Order: sequence, then C-alpha cells, then structure tokens
Amino acid sequence: MARPFSTVLIWLVVAISLSLPSTLLLSLDNLGRVVPDLTRGAQLSVMLRSEADLATAKRVEQRVGAWPEVSRVSLILREQALMEFAEQTGLSSVLMSLENNPLPHTLLVAPQPDMSETEVIALMGRLNQLVVVERVIQDTRWMARLQEILLAGWRWVTALGGAMALGAVLALITTLHLAIDARKEEIEVVSVMGGSAAFIRRPFLYTGLYFGAGGGVLASLCLWVFSAWLVQPVDALFALYDMASPFRGPGALYSFCLPAAGAGLGWLAALIALRRHFSLLEIR
Amino acid sequence: MIEFDRVSRRFGDIHALRHLSLTLDKGEMAFLTGHSGAGKSTLLRLLLLLDRPSGGDIRVCGESTAKIRTRSVPQYRRRFGVVFQDHRLLFDRNVHDNVALPLVMAGYAPRESQRRVRAALDKVGLLALERANPASLSGGEQQRVGIARAVVAKPEFLIADEPTGNLDPALSSEIMSLFEAFNQVGVTVLVATHDLPLISRLRHRILTLSSGSLAGPESG
Repeated sequence: MARPFSTVLIWLVVAISLSLPSTLLLSLDNLGRVVPDLTRGAQLSVMLRSEADLATAKRVEQRVGAWPEVSRVSLILREQALMEFAEQTGLSSVLMSLENNPLPHTLLVAPQPDMSETEVIALMGRLNQLVVVERVIQDTRWMARLQEILLAGWRWVTALGGAMALGAVLALITTLHLAIDARKEEIEVVSVMGGSAAFIRRPFLYTGLYFGAGGGVLASLCLWVFSAWLVQPVDALFALYDMASPFRGPGALYSFCLPAAGAGLGWLAALIALRRHFSLLEIR
Repeated sequence: MIEFDRVSRRFGDIHALRHLSLTLDKGEMAFLTGHSGAGKSTLLRLLLLLDRPSGGDIRVCGESTAKIRTRSVPQYRRRFGVVFQDHRLLFDRNVHDNVALPLVMAGYAPRESQRRVRAALDKVGLLALERANPASLSGGEQQRVGIARAVVAKPEFLIADEPTGNLDPALSSEIMSLFEAFNQVGVTVLVATHDLPLISRLRHRILTLSSGSLAGPESG
C-alpha cells in the first residue's frame, strides 16, 4: 500500500470494532465455564418423614452413601438442626417452648462432581422414591437466573457485535471509495482497453481483504494483550476460593476467527464500494 | 470491416449523430475529421461500446454490435487498440508495465508478454526507455508509449482520438507515419483528428463529420 498511515488507521478502526465484542464474547465464554464448577458444589437436601427415627435415618444414610452417583452423604439430626436454627435465628426461647421438634432428620447428599444437570435430576427422582423421604430440595433458582443472565449477555454481545461490524464495514467502504477514486483514471483506461469487470475489481477486493484481515490480526493481538493483563487477578481471585482458575485466553479459535471475520468484512465492503462505483462509471 | 448503418445518437434534443452511414474496409486507413462537437468522439465511443446508439446499427466484420452482451463487451474491446489524445498512461508504473497492461488483461504468460512488450517498444523506438517512468518522458515519447500499448496485443483495429492534438508538426508527422506503418502490416486504422494540413498530405480517405452527419466528398 502506498499510504501506510491510512492503512494503519483503517486497521485500527477494524481492530477496535472487532476486539470490543470479541472481548465480551471471551468473557462470556469464561463465565460459561465457571457455571458448571459452581453447580458441582450444589448439594441436595433430603428431608426425611417426621416419623422416621434415628435408626431409620442412619440406615438410609448408609444405603444412599453406597450409590455410585453419590460422592458424600452426611446426616443432620433433627436436634442438631433445631439448635443450629435457634442459633442462627436467635429464636431459641420460642423454639425451646415447643413440645415437639418440628424439624425432620435431614440428609445432605453431594452428587458426583462430574454429573450433568439431568443426571442430578435423575438422582433426585431416585431419592424421592425412597419411602422415608418426604422431599428433596435443590436450590436451582440461582442457576436458572444465571442462565438467563448469560443468555441476555449473549444477545447483548450479538447486537453490539453486529453494530460494531456494520461500523467497520462502513469505514472500510469509505476508505475503499477513496482508493477506487484515486485509481479512477486507471479503471477507465483498463475498461476501454477491454479489461473485464473481474480484472478491474480484483485489486480492490484484495485491498479490502488486506484492510479487513490486517484489522482482524490487530484485534486478536489486542485480545491476547488484554487477557494477559487480566489473567493474574482472575487466577488470584479463584485461588482465594480454593478453586482452579477456569480462565482461558483467546486461544487458536479466536486467533483464527478474528482475522477471518475481518477479511470477510473487508471483502464485503469492497464488493459494496465497487458496486456503487461501477454504476457511476458505467462499467458493467 | 466496420460498418455504420444509419446510426443516430441523441442526447435529449441534441443529435450528436444523425443517420450516419459509413464503411471502413479491412486493412484500410482513414481519417475522421470535423469541428469540435461534430460527433467524432461520439462515433468512437459508439464503436468501442462505451455508449449505445439511439438508432441504427454498427457492424464489425459483419456482426451486429447490438447483439453483444455486457459480459462479452471486454472481449469485443480487445479487438481494438486505442490511442488517446492525452496518452492516459499510468504514472505509478514504468513504461514496460504500461505497455504490458493489455497483455496482463488477456492473461499472457510473463515471458511471452515480455517479448511482445519489447517488440512493440522497439517498433515505436523506445526500447531504451523501457524502465523509465512515463512522467519523465516528453509529450511525443509518451504518445509513442501509448501507441505501443495500443498495438502490443496485435489488435485488428487501431483507433486514435486526436493523437497529435498536443504535438508540434514534426512530432505529429512522426506519429502519423507510425500509424501508417501499422496499417501496412494489415491493421485497420481510424484516426480522429483536425490536423487538416497534416492529413491532406497523406493519401488516405478523409471522413468529414458535420453536425452528426458525413459531409462533403470523400477524398482518398
């Protein structure tokens, strides 16, 4: 390219338009990876029927503990539960005045860590079928909320990405218009001499490709720098929760897709710019 | 052979060409002359399919150009070598690459292209300036590069629009003898010019346009 400054400028425009949505996309990707890790900690609270005595509760504890899909079972005795409840709520005097302990024996069942949502649900069904079980509770509402938040995030990123891509295409079209204008003379001469439309278009399509792919490479570079900057505090945060950091950088996928997306946008922009220009020059 | 059969071209109320009929035989050389606005440029534009007639038909080697589809127009134009008044050389590349342009378009191999470019430049006497930038050449030299570019792909027809418009008489005469040399090897040549003193000395047919029609007796 004869004008390195304008080339760098258009690369930056494309890079910014691509790196902003892809940064958000990468963040969502990483968030999505955190979610199964959190469900792993989810326990099932199994309330036994109030008529079940201690011996029955211990028997059920042993039996459930032997199931392959269960990693750990602990029994919370009704008395113990009442005491904890009293402590936590400060209602001990009220609770002491009760004739009967209203709380049942409860089993805390931890499913195997690698189990999927449907397998956990199947386990809940199996527990429910036990005669002594009153009901099984899993706090899934926060997960459902998180799912919705992630979905909303995806849509937000998609809309933003679309708008940014459109901006990039418009900037590319403007730049390519200038490039075509600068070579109008050449286009006319070549056209009179019998250059086909494809022959005339080719260099401009390549220019569009070059502008777009260059911007895409720059965008993936930005993403690498950004994630290198972010990885240390994120890893430290997860270390504080005693968890392995799920953080992943852009990787090969982003490094390949961004230049490819940029190239695609550049090609598209060149097609649009050429279409408009050719109709002005009456080249068909 | 080029035939104009009652060709008209109207721009609104203005008749640039009015029922014009003329024939240029294969291997012939002719001059097209007339005042500015007489229709010379319109005629050449119609012949190169840069424009379409409002009426009548233009036939090249017996084939009606009206039937040529847009997709086939580039192929048709390659049968013509065109020389412009203002040369229209591309200053972002050297003389060799300017002349090679029609060969690049036609997809010649670099080796063959190289050979033909050098042959064409040799014919116009500019082989030594092959690597020069056309901007550094004189007006006459630039026009010779333009001619080399027009003939390099060995077209059937050589069309020139005011090729000597910006040149002094000596250079003009030199350029015209180049056209005659190409005509002698079988190329059909049509030169639009209003350099009457020059062309009256050359023994070729003169087609005079006046308000869009052929005027006066043809000389030759």
